[in-house]
Amino acid sequence: MTPASAATPAANTPGWSRESMQARLGGSGGGGNKAEAATLRRARIGDAMLDWACRLSAALIALMLISLIAVLVHSAWPAIKQFGLGFLVNSEWRANEIERPLRDSAGKLILRDGEPAMETLAPAFGALPVIWGTAISSALALLIAVPISLSAAIFLVRVAPKLKIAGAASFLIEFLAAVPSLAFGIWALFVLAPFFQKYVGPFLHRILEPLPGLRWMFYESTTVAGRTIERPIPLTGRDLFTGSLILAIMILPIVTSVSRDVLRAVPRTQIEGTLALGATWWQSCVAMLRYGRSGLLGAIMLGLARAAGETMAVTMVIGNNNQISPSPFAPAQTMASVLANEFGEATEGLHRAALLYVALILLTMSLIFNVIARRLVVGKLASRNQ
Amino acid sequence: MSQSFAEIRRRTFSSIMFGLCAGGAALIISILLLVIGYLLWIGVSSLSWEFLTAVPTGDVANPGGMRHAIDGTIILVALASAVGVPIGVLAGIYLSEYPTEYAVTGPLRFIADVLTGVPSIVVGILGYELVVVPVSRWTESSISYSGYAGAAALAFIMIPIVARTTEEMLRLVPKNYREGSLALGATRAQTIFRVVLPGAFGGVATGIMLAMGRIAGETAPLLFTALGSRLLTHNPAEPFPSLTLQIYTYATGPYPEQKRLAWAGILVLLAMLFVVNLSIRLIAARHARTRVGA
Repeated sequence: MTPASAATPAANTPGWSRESMQARLGGSGGGGNKAEAATLRRARIGDAMLDWACRLSAALIALMLISLIAVLVHSAWPAIKQFGLGFLVNSEWRANEIERPLRDSAGKLILRDGEPAMETLAPAFGALPVIWGTAISSALALLIAVPISLSAAIFLVRVAPKLKIAGAASFLIEFLAAVPSLAFGIWALFVLAPFFQKYVGPFLHRILEPLPGLRWMFYESTTVAGRTIERPIPLTGRDLFTGSLILAIMILPIVTSVSRDVLRAVPRTQIEGTLALGATWWQSCVAMLRYGRSGLLGAIMLGLARAAGETMAVTMVIGNNNQISPSPFAPAQTMASVLANEFGEATEGLHRAALLYVALILLTMSLIFNVIARRLVVGKLASRNQ
Repeated sequence: MSQSFAEIRRRTFSSIMFGLCAGGAALIISILLLVIGYLLWIGVSSLSWEFLTAVPTGDVANPGGMRHAIDGTIILVALASAVGVPIGVLAGIYLSEYPTEYAVTGPLRFIADVLTGVPSIVVGILGYELVVVPVSRWTESSISYSGYAGAAALAFIMIPIVARTTEEMLRLVPKNYREGSLALGATRAQTIFRVVLPGAFGGVATGIMLAMGRIAGETAPLLFTALGSRLLTHNPAEPFPSLTLQIYTYATGPYPEQKRLAWAGILVLLAMLFVVNLSIRLIAARHARTRVGA
């Protein structure tokens, strides 16, 4: 095509000759020093442009993380300055001023000019309720999801290939991971929560209440006017328990697929060795789990990070109440859900700053979980590849 | 007797655990089928032609459709991809093709990994603080929620995913392709754009589609950036509708007719994701064929 390739007789393998390759690559092979120099210059400029475009794009990724941290710290600064680290352990979250009647030490209303005297409680912000909600819901979710995920991972690695269903089962689990959290939220809100309210909640209540030491699950006691009043927690189906369950369902795919990869990386000789020594199927699985334990821990940490940061589904079913209740059947609030619920309406400066402080805590936590998880999983899988 | 009691016990225990493992896998699959099946069942019964073509009426008994939200999601994903794909791919090229700069690429790879794990609600808040607030201050208007802010938040989520998958896919291209191209006098840019990228085209495209599917289903990053809208608007400078935001609003609202629309909306969203997944499979299959043919 180019004059250069026509002029050179050495091109006996047309597909891979230098000229045809250069023609294909867009260069003009030869054709005088001047043209060659121009081509070279153009090539250098092109390379330099690509280099810097790549470097800039890559730098942008670093910039993204830096700006994420910097902006959150900057915007949350009023709250950080005011509350300090005490924010983490303060359990009061009041976005607005509350007026309530003043009571004396015996719990009687104090009357002033025939009217009950009122006291005004200033807004207060403490992150303990949402940290509590996040911790308990994530822990419960892991408690439910990890045994199921690990057993499914073992099945996928040890059994499914023999049945020739490993591909199909893996595809289904990966599709579950691609379903948006909103879809789980809708399902949880319209199907799971009513089901729990109608059947599961009352059932558990009937079964568990007579057992000694479990009364706290179904009754909350409040101290009003010096007396302790115990009242049953209304079973709405929108509570910590339902929130944890939907979280468990949502982290199943990620924990399963990462555990599967980790277990698949266990050398065959390990398994065959245990079997040769007379181990049963399960005993060789235990050996396999033990061999991959750090990678499995990483898989669990990834699940934990996912659970702690999950927003939409949890917001829809956890009940959204900034309180600390020991009962799993009481409405709760997580860090992510308080942000989704209140950030849009937080017009007052300190409220917004407090929410940004919560976001900063959430970010820090998920960064830590992710870093640990990547170290554990990547380390394990990389050592296999070498 | 070789079949001692302990032997029988440990074999029985092994069988029980085998059953439990199979049960775990079956449980996950059945949960998936339960959730998807339910969404399909209610969604299909709520879906109508009007849903796809009409805009909200404001009448709660007869709420119209979600045309505005479907358009909104498509535009948001297109805008986010227009920014996120080039940056993500270039960053991926950097991570894979500049091994001499490993002092930088190592930490960057780690940062990209960590960024993919940032909770999406935090990204939404960053979008608010970094785009919405400054724009409001600059234009001296009330809070300027906009489609651009929403697209920026989505791009933030997209870039690290695209970068990492691009890198992984480029690494699969054999080293001697690059060496051959360079030995023939091609420049680095020519090698990357005409040899390496085409060689990994299927994988890179799959990664991009995956990221697009992921951001199309995101709600939390849009809550405080795009905000949502009931108007049919194609102007991203305004508060912007999205399918996910509209579904969330309807689902958490009090009106049964709107809840039906939320179900239908989820179905449309899942259908869009399914089309994306299917395209990924097709691209991957075609890519595999051409690689074998080459």
